[in-house]
Amino acid sequence: MEKYLSLHFERSTPLGLEEARAQGRYATAETVLRQKAPDEVIEEVKAANLRGRGGAWFPAGVKWSFMPKEPQGPSYLVVNADEGEPGTFKDRQLMEKNPHLLLEGILLASYAIRAHTAYLYIRGEYLASYRALVQAVKEAREARLLGPNLFGTDFHLEVVIHRGAGAYICGEETALLNSLEGRRGEPRPKPPFPAVYGAFGRPTTVNNVETLANVPFILERGARWFRDLGAPTAPGHLLFGLSGPVRRPGVYELPTGTTARELVEEHGGGLIGGKALKAFVPGGASTGFLPADALDVEMDPETLRERGTMLGTGGIIVIPDDVRIVDAARVFSRFFRHETCGQCSPCREGAAWSDRVLARFARGEGHRDDFDLIEDIARGSTRRTICVFPEAFAGPMLSAIRHFRDEFESGVAAPDNPTSVAHQEA
Amino acid sequence: MPTLTIDGQSIEVPSGTNLIEASRQIGVDVPHYCYHPALSIAASCRMCQVELHQEGAPPRVVVACQTEAADGMTVSTDGADCKQARAATLEFLLANHPLDCPICDKAGECDLQNFSYWHGNAQGRFREPKREAIKRTSIGDHILLDQERCILCTRCTRFMDEYAKAPQLVVAGRGDRNVITTFPGEKISSNYEGNLADICPVGALTLEEFRFKSRVWDLTHQDSVCPSCDRGCSIRLETKRNRLLRVRPRENPNVNGHFMCDIGRFGLLESCNPEHRVSSLRQLDDSSNAPNAVDLARELLVTHAGKWLILASSRMTLEEAVVVRDAFAPHLAPDGLVFISAAEQPGDDILYTGKQAANESGLRLAGYRECTLGEVRERVAAAPDTALWSFDGDVAGQVLVQNRTRFAAIMDCWNSSHGQEHPDARPHDVDLFLPALLFSEKNGTWVNRDGVLQRLRAAQRAPVGTLSIAELFAAILDRPASSPGCPDRTHHSLGTLGLNRLPLSQIPATGIPIDSLRAEVAAS
Repeated sequence: MEKYLSLHFERSTPLGLEEARAQGRYATAETVLRQKAPDEVIEEVKAANLRGRGGAWFPAGVKWSFMPKEPQGPSYLVVNADEGEPGTFKDRQLMEKNPHLLLEGILLASYAIRAHTAYLYIRGEYLASYRALVQAVKEAREARLLGPNLFGTDFHLEVVIHRGAGAYICGEETALLNSLEGRRGEPRPKPPFPAVYGAFGRPTTVNNVETLANVPFILERGARWFRDLGAPTAPGHLLFGLSGPVRRPGVYELPTGTTARELVEEHGGGLIGGKALKAFVPGGASTGFLPADALDVEMDPETLRERGTMLGTGGIIVIPDDVRIVDAARVFSRFFRHETCGQCSPCREGAAWSDRVLARFARGEGHRDDFDLIEDIARGSTRRTICVFPEAFAGPMLSAIRHFRDEFESGVAAPDNPTSVAHQEA
Repeated sequence: MPTLTIDGQSIEVPSGTNLIEASRQIGVDVPHYCYHPALSIAASCRMCQVELHQEGAPPRVVVACQTEAADGMTVSTDGADCKQARAATLEFLLANHPLDCPICDKAGECDLQNFSYWHGNAQGRFREPKREAIKRTSIGDHILLDQERCILCTRCTRFMDEYAKAPQLVVAGRGDRNVITTFPGEKISSNYEGNLADICPVGALTLEEFRFKSRVWDLTHQDSVCPSCDRGCSIRLETKRNRLLRVRPRENPNVNGHFMCDIGRFGLLESCNPEHRVSSLRQLDDSSNAPNAVDLARELLVTHAGKWLILASSRMTLEEAVVVRDAFAPHLAPDGLVFISAAEQPGDDILYTGKQAANESGLRLAGYRECTLGEVRERVAAAPDTALWSFDGDVAGQVLVQNRTRFAAIMDCWNSSHGQEHPDARPHDVDLFLPALLFSEKNGTWVNRDGVLQRLRAAQRAPVGTLSIAELFAAILDRPASSPGCPDRTHHSLGTLGLNRLPLSQIPATGIPIDSLRAEVAAS
């Protein structure tokens, strides 16, 4: 299988401009800017059915087509490099190793949506990525690959790099826009959507790093080439993250639709120390748990939706059999409790409440009616708030109980246990 | 103008109307916390969820505040799904709420209480220890914050940002560590602080001045108009045992919207609960044999016939201005009806105009002429036998101090400025002092700077010995006084001003533009 996204991941330093150009970087941008109209770019990306790699899998070309064709005032591209989903660390590789690939993707996307400023919102903790991109932008600007009159056309583009301040919620696109504007990182009520009212109130497209990294190849090799890769409903290669106690954790470029088993056993080399796999998280913390018997599932958005979960960012986390699922769920619930922005009451209170209930289960102080309570917290908060954060905190706890109910049953306090909460209340 | 159906009733609303306001128009209250008609939409409390059916889309639960009415919508505000959603939201909000209603000033007018009764579950399921936060802290000159009671609806932060133009309150922290707070070490400073306690749907922001003063259900309410500047904000005076305990704005799109300023709100607590007040008639020379104030005044009027110069007060009602004008008419010096216009203090471009001239527009309508202190002095100097009758103790005090003019009579609540008798206002400068009523003891009407006629209603009983201007002069004119303190004769007063007659009882709570009365006269 020929790789295209992860070609330079073995490097210890970012690929410089000279080397990148020698490998063909910016050649596609030059051809496209000189020979194609913006709408042709959108059509090509639509035809390729490139779907967003940030986790929602929304078709990128369709998103671009919402942008005004004859803008009255500025439109913006915002690059979501606030990679914060636990188990996800793929964009970081792209930025640290091959920043000019991202910049070329930014150039092409900006051209397509008629934006002349691209904001790159980068996770605050990603210092190496930030440095690599600052250097890459400097190189590109000096080489007139950014700035006015690119490739002799009248298209111009500036890239502004903005560092986040450490909030998971700022990966939600409208919270990101608020944060970019200097406001509190809280998701905005929608509508209006960013394509109508985005950064600084202007039409804006927000794209994930990996999504943009695919764009130069689609325009270079054609939509048809791309559509033939991976799962038909979500074609292309995906940078799968693999973490947990496996022999070779890391980022693996594989076609969508690859099975989790291939990733864990073949590429990851299986679990260390002869442990058995109890469960795995298919695509980042918010996608919840699947039991070991689901390992043969094909990792594409549609198949995973049928299994009641999501492909998300493709960050697989392996849970070995010596970890209590309650404890694994608690790791996530603590994270989500800490990271909800707290503006919507059901999410603010629900994330905290469910975390405290799980903590009781972990201490062996669960109650029998807590099972209903957790269901009700999920029902009262999911689809009831401004963004989908409740779906994120509900997924892990609901799937943990669904697949490993017996482990939770053993966390219910025994009535004859004199130290249990249940006993004291009775 | 989209037409939609809410709970089976069809209604047409202006485009841009949200579903809360549209429901309100057919008498359906959709419960809400973060939504406030004068503030931007936060859509974060998630209390106002309703079921929405639209053609071509599956039924769904939406928040009513953020959803604009559209043609063909069918909305249900009491379907099973939205009931469940509301009950869930309430359970979340109550999970960490301290439930200290027995010691909370808000109890009785608290939306967390009300909605829990109407939409909540009887039993909570929260077993964990409740979150602890700062329980009482002063965040301004008038406001106490209780972070435990707060439900983080952000009405207060949006009010400070958007209305008070003083962005001094923020949400700090994240998730369940969120709290409302000020900049570290700073307090809020605004002329609109008091409104925070009104818009807070729970007991998180309470008034220092009202703290533990009364349960709200023991208060007696009366609609009135604020005298503190010529905006004339619609207010409600709340008293207990004749003492004014709280002043709150009344919603009035014609005048003040939803709010009022602190100068008005807290100033009235002092001026309507005066520590020093003159409540007995005082005569310099008690040789008169007149048996009562009416005869005394009648005698005085005749004694100085043709010499009277009347200094009116902008706190006189329109009715008082007319009856005084009529009573003095045969006895006035030429150009004898004047008032000293209030000095322009700096206003704030929001509500407070800085001009303490509650009913100057009404005085003008009734034929009083604006003049200056200097002009009064010159006239007295030119004609030393001028008899001065002042209805404004403050103005009289200024005249007295500056040129020792003798007053035939002063009729006001105070002999001089602000509750205390001015040291220079010696009784021998005034032949007769008649103790009058506070504005909060009067019935009648005022006209504000924009020509809106609004009604005042007596919220407090006047002390024994005080006199009503309206009653005193109605008696002199032998006109009937139909109710204590207020001859219900606005229809008469307006009639004498060439306006359409309108009895007090027909003046709407939001007032009526004087011009509309004029227009009807012109039309008929």
